[in-house]
Formats: sequence, C-alpha cells, structure tokens
Amino acid sequence: MFLRKAKSVTLLPVCLAIVFGLIPSRASAQYKPKDTEWPTYAADLAGTRYRPLDQINASNFNDLEIAWRIKTDNFGDRPEYKLEGTPLMVNGVLYATAGSRRAVIALDPETGELLWIHGEHEGKRGGAAPRQLSGRGLAYWSDGKEERIFYVTPGFRLICLNAKTGQRVPSFGQDGILDLKLDDDQTISDWNDKHEWVPNLETGEIGIQSAPVVAGNTVIIGAAFREGMTPKSMRNNKGHVRGFDVRTGKRLWIFHTIPMKGEFGYDTWEKGSAEYTGNTGMWTQLTVDEQLGLVYLPVESPTSDFYGGHRPGNNLFGETLVCVDLKTGERKWHFQLVHHPLWDMDISSAPILADITVDGKPVKAVAQPTKQGFLYIFDRVTGKPIWPMPEKPVEVGSVPGEWYSPTQPIPSKPPSYSRNGVSVDDLIDFTPALHDRAKEIASHYHLGSVYTPATVSKLEGPLGTLTLGTASGGTNWPGGSFDPETHIAYLYACNACLEPIGLVPAPKEISDINYIAGVAGKEVQIMRGPGENAGADSPKPPKKRPPSQYVPLNIDGLPLTKPPYGTITAINLDKGEFVWQIAHGETPDVVRNSDLLKGMNIPRTGQETYNVGTLVTKSLVIAGEAQVTTTADHPRGAMLRAYDKATGKEVGAVYMPGPESGSPMTYMLHGKQYIVIAISGGPYSGEYIAYALPSAGE
Amino acid sequence: MRKTLLIACVTVVVSSFGLGVLRAQAPADSRSVWDGVYTEEQAKRGEAVYQKECASCHGDMLTGGESAPPLTGGAFQANWNGLTLGDLFDRIRKTMPQTSPGRLTRQQNADVLAFMLSINKFPAGKTELFRQSEMLKEIRFETKKPAAKN
Repeated sequence: MFLRKAKSVTLLPVCLAIVFGLIPSRASAQYKPKDTEWPTYAADLAGTRYRPLDQINASNFNDLEIAWRIKTDNFGDRPEYKLEGTPLMVNGVLYATAGSRRAVIALDPETGELLWIHGEHEGKRGGAAPRQLSGRGLAYWSDGKEERIFYVTPGFRLICLNAKTGQRVPSFGQDGILDLKLDDDQTISDWNDKHEWVPNLETGEIGIQSAPVVAGNTVIIGAAFREGMTPKSMRNNKGHVRGFDVRTGKRLWIFHTIPMKGEFGYDTWEKGSAEYTGNTGMWTQLTVDEQLGLVYLPVESPTSDFYGGHRPGNNLFGETLVCVDLKTGERKWHFQLVHHPLWDMDISSAPILADITVDGKPVKAVAQPTKQGFLYIFDRVTGKPIWPMPEKPVEVGSVPGEWYSPTQPIPSKPPSYSRNGVSVDDLIDFTPALHDRAKEIASHYHLGSVYTPATVSKLEGPLGTLTLGTASGGTNWPGGSFDPETHIAYLYACNACLEPIGLVPAPKEISDINYIAGVAGKEVQIMRGPGENAGADSPKPPKKRPPSQYVPLNIDGLPLTKPPYGTITAINLDKGEFVWQIAHGETPDVVRNSDLLKGMNIPRTGQETYNVGTLVTKSLVIAGEAQVTTTADHPRGAMLRAYDKATGKEVGAVYMPGPESGSPMTYMLHGKQYIVIAISGGPYSGEYIAYALPSAGE
Repeated sequence: MRKTLLIACVTVVVSSFGLGVLRAQAPADSRSVWDGVYTEEQAKRGEAVYQKECASCHGDMLTGGESAPPLTGGAFQANWNGLTLGDLFDRIRKTMPQTSPGRLTRQQNADVLAFMLSINKFPAGKTELFRQSEMLKEIRFETKKPAAKN
C-alpha cells in the first residue's frame, strides 16, 4: 500500500499512513523527567544545538557503537542520496522526515523500530516543486494532552499529524492539510505557454525544505524557491513569512519580506521593482524568544542572485535579519547585512539567541552566522549592534545596468571566521611551482576582498570574479551551535568553497533578465536547485543540452586555495574573540595521496564542504565529516569527530559508513545517551544511524 | 488486513537494511581503471549522452551543483575509491536520470561511464567498457595509479 503510486493528479493529495499499533503503549507514562529531549530542529527555539549531556564524553567517545540504524530507500519511489534531516526526540518517540517522498516516520528511540509512517502523494504538484526530497525535519507541539507533528510537503502543504498515530488531524485546515499556496497576500503564479504570468497552484514556484517552527500556539513557515543564479525572469512569487494557529491552521499574521506599496521599505525598490521582484524568502531555520515574544527571521536574496539591474535600490528585506512580534508578525527592528544583494549571501542558517555579558553588563543578544564568515551580533531587544558595524566603501562594478551600493556594513568584532575574498595569498602554496600554476589559473579572473562584485565574463578575461564566502562559503544551512553556560559559539565554515561569478547576456528565449550567471564562450543553461526534479513524482528532464569543454578550478585535483579547507571556530561572545580554530575533517585523499606533494608533511587540512552541522554537549563539540576518505586507520568512509569544547583538541572519532549529510542530535532516554546523525552521498543512500555506548557487560 | 499490512511493511523496512553498498569483492590481481578499460570513441559517445541526460543537474563541466554531486575531483573519487566500476555502473543504471531512473540503456550508461572516466583522467584503451554489471565488478575503481608491475 505504501509504495503504490497514486494515479490521481488532482490537487487533493493521497495520504498514506500506516500505524504499527505500538504507539499507545509508548504514551507519556513512560517518560521520565530526567530524560533529555531534542524537541525542535535545533534542540531549542534559540537555535543552540546544545544539550548538557555528558554520558558520552572524551573518555569513551571511541567506544561508541551503532545502537540502531534505518535506511530510507523505501520511503519514496526512489532512493535518496541527500538525506539532510535532524530528527526530534520528544516524549519517548523519535520523529524524522525521510526518503524521496519526504515521508514522516516515528521510531522507538532505543531500538529504531518503526512505529508509524506517513506519506503524501502529490502528483504533478510535488513533482514540480522547487525543493524536493526529504527536507530537514519537522516540528512538535503539545498542550499536555494532545500531541501534534507539523511538516511541509514538497508541494508546499502544511500537514498536521496526530503524533501518536501518524494520521492527519481533521480539525486542522482541511482534513489536516493547509494549502500554503493560498492566503499569502499574492496569487501564486507561473508562466503559461503564451508566456503570460497566470495563477497556477500546481506549478507556481514556491516551497520549502526546512523544518517548521512551533512557538507557543503558532507555527511559523517561510518559503524557498529554485536556485537564483540563472532565473528565467525578473518576476517571481514572493517569499512572505506567515504564522498559523496550531489548532486550526488559521492564518494569524504575515510578514511581507518584500514590502507592499505604502509599507516601510517599499521605497528601497526603485522604479517599482517591488511589484514584480520575487523570492526574498526565508528558506532556513528561524529562532524565537518566547519570553520576549519575538521572532528572528533570516531572509534570503531577491530574484536573480548575481544581477540586480532590474531591482535598483537596497532591496529591503533581502539578506536582512528581521525581528517581528510572535503574536502579530509586526516588525520590531531589522538590520540589512548586505545592501542590494549581488553575491547569493542568503542568510542561510538560524540566528542564535545568546544571553551574554559584555563589559560587565548582561545582554540578551542574537548572533547570526553567515556565508561571508562574519558573525553579526545584536542586542536582540533593540537590534543595536553589540560592537560597531560601520558602513565601509566597497568596490563598485561595471556591469551595464547594474545598481551598486557604495558601502556595506562590516562588523568590527569578532573578526571574520572564514575567508570572504580571494587574493593571491589565498592560493595553494605547498610548493612554489603549485603556487605559480594557481596564479596562472586565477589570472583569468578578477580578484578582490569581500563584496567585490561580479564582472561580465569575457573570453580574453576576466572570466568572472573569483569569490570565497559567497554562494556556498562560510556557514550554510546547518548553522552553528552555542553553549549558554560558557557563552561560546561553535561555527563550522567552508574556507575553500570557491565560486567563480561571471555574467553573460541572457538569451531572450531563456530569460528576460539582462545578465545571468555564465561563462563566456559557453552556451547558457538554467541551473537546477537542491532536489529539484529529483523527488518522487518529478517529470523527465529537458531533451537538449549544449556541448562544452571541461575546465577545472583545481590543480591535478588539488584545491586551488591553500588549507584549511574547512574549519570549526569557537568564539567567545562576551568578548567577540576567538577561543580556538581548528581544521575539521581528514585531509582529502586527493591531497594526502598526491604525487605532487610526495614526501611533504602536511598537517590535517579539513575538507571543502558546506554542509557540516555541529552539536555541543556538556564537554564536547561533535561534528561529522561530509567527505569520504580511505586511510590507513579506516576503510572508505567518514568519521564522526569529538573535540574538547574548551580547547578544540580532538578527543575521539567513530567510523561512519557514509558522509554526514544532516546535522547530529542527541538525547537521553532511560539512562542512556544517544547521538543520531543522517548520512548519505556518493554510493551511499540515506540512512539515520544512532550511536550509543555499549551496555554494561558488553 | 491490518496483519497483512504489518507484515508487508516490516518486510519493506527490513529489506532496506541490507542495501548499503558492498565493499569491492574483486580479487587483487583483477584490472583497474588504470588499465585502459574504455575507448576514446566510446567516451565521445558518452559525452553526447551526458550532455543530453545528465548535465542539467551535474553541470556541463561535471562539477555538480547543490542538487547533484560532482562527477570529477577529489570528493567524487574518494567516494568510489576501493569499489568497482560495477558498483558505479549500477548506481547510474538504477537511480539515474533521477527524474526517470532506469530509462537509459546499458550501452548508454556504459558510454556515460566511459566519458566520466576520461574526464577523471583515467587512460583510454583499445576495448570498450562492458555493459554487464558482473563484468564491470571485476574492474576496480582506484584513485591512485598502482605501481608498475614487475
């Protein structure tokens, strides 16, 4: 029954839920107060990814064993190799999204036994969704009697489930479903065959892959779209943020991420561009201070990541941290991190709420990790920066028709924790010969510091601007962690995720935008987004792709930049200073085994990847590797590593058969601590693995 | 009915546990990707198929994107190091193109694999890559070129 594909392509999805009859016996009577739960995506609404557990510690981390595991291959009509979820563990049950269907599963947290499963067959609407596959998770709500699970389908429906049975709750929305493409202060639309922008609930572009957030009796949902490097049009649907009643699904409030006429910020969209520009969604996790009644919204880029000539002005609330009232959605304060966004510096992870002490005074702060490696820290009540963020002049580019902000705010403290520009000094320098080869490759590009704008791509050069700390740099969707006891934040960052940004005139049959991302001499093509056309029910690919020539941005496989390629940085938020910084991840095989480096003693380099999430416990920082290696110490696989959180010294590592693809979480149940992590990638399809210490006598 | 469903679903879930990729079982003296296991002509045919069927997600330079991993470079090679071409072939054959898995013929899949080997700078030879998974399982994917045999 579960695997049978629905034939219907109507807008009413087909719901499949199978209950194994075990839930009632796992009711709250079994729950022990000393158990430690993980009740929201990031452990708590403050986004800390912190649990003060210490059963698993430096002395025994290497003893961890697999307690249980579950492959996700059958939770959809095809296996998934991009499992990004972080499960919840609450009231004695573990909940997760899983598989290409984005099914919801409930498991016994001690054994991994499947308790129930729920899936929605959405037909064409699901297949056309911009963000498919299993997503990052779900949300839990309870009033002490009733328990509910919320998640959003690829086709952008908010589903409310009975947490005990996996069945939809009929009193919520329409039979447990809220169509998020409706009641959005806009008509979700798409282009038709005559190139007219017309209402279309089936293919109209909008969706989300992050987990909903429940605060009090409000469930808050953002929005995501396709990749924005090669948009088809300057016009798109807008990514407003909404709050809904957890009991009924009634819309309680909406925040317009692109202001409507008459609203604050409308004038930052010159020439009426707020009317047609879209995107500007909030696709990542948000955080909430329930005590203050405030919600912190990290907003992404407007339509067209790298060319903003059709949206002149600063473009509020693009790439802006916005604080709104939990009950009304009314804006309290905002701070635009990047004026007139041109670098795909979406605010990509949850803001972290941190109660800190600055110059002897207690401050309720919010700290925002970013792709550009700046940690922006504000008083979360007033929005005032903790340390000055002066507007500094930045390079103004020369792309025809572009509008440039002459300045950008630069945090004075803490210093940037990952590279956010490219200079010759950043290039590989293991040997002078390698450095010379890297300089030759880089000479085809424009280089510069943070906020150096893109160029038009020319065959004679530059091919574009070579950037770090942009689309996939710094901290991406997994976000950071924070220890509320020591006031130290732990941030993974990609330090070597190079992004060449060149612009080419867009062929009119592809886009109505003047310039889109591309390389001179190559035929332009639309780039696909994460999971797009990859989930269940998706259609066939386009027929024709242009031929082209392969041009690597590496030297015989060696990264063009010098190490460290990926880092974890501990930052004391009381002082705005680094405590330590380490390279995270085994040196890649291609570096360790390179003939060009034979005989050289190269310290661990870390890995060039953007999807590592960290977990903080009483004594450890824990993070997996997102790249596979084969070493003398372990067969092909990746390691889950533990560091002393005070010093950054590695204190243990446990083998994983595949790379980390979702952030780890932990919980304590019946006296035993577990760590659960999603792994997938390359030959390894999605799997959740739970680690625990051996039981006594084992 | 309920019992039937229970058994069916437990079977589905339990059967999924064994799907992890198996380690290469090839004997030590079998061939590897360094032994000229495809032809240049086959790689050219594969390029045409790749551009039509694969490039929109994996990129026309095989460098991947957010939606799809790179099919060249250190991370890609590390993923498959120690496995066999049969493992990689079956991953492609059974799960790609992701919008319509299994749509390409074995010959097309073998041609695409030949193109991927050429881009990853494994040498071409005089015979084409096999179309049978079992035979491809006898060819090791080794990132590092083995030392010359005496």
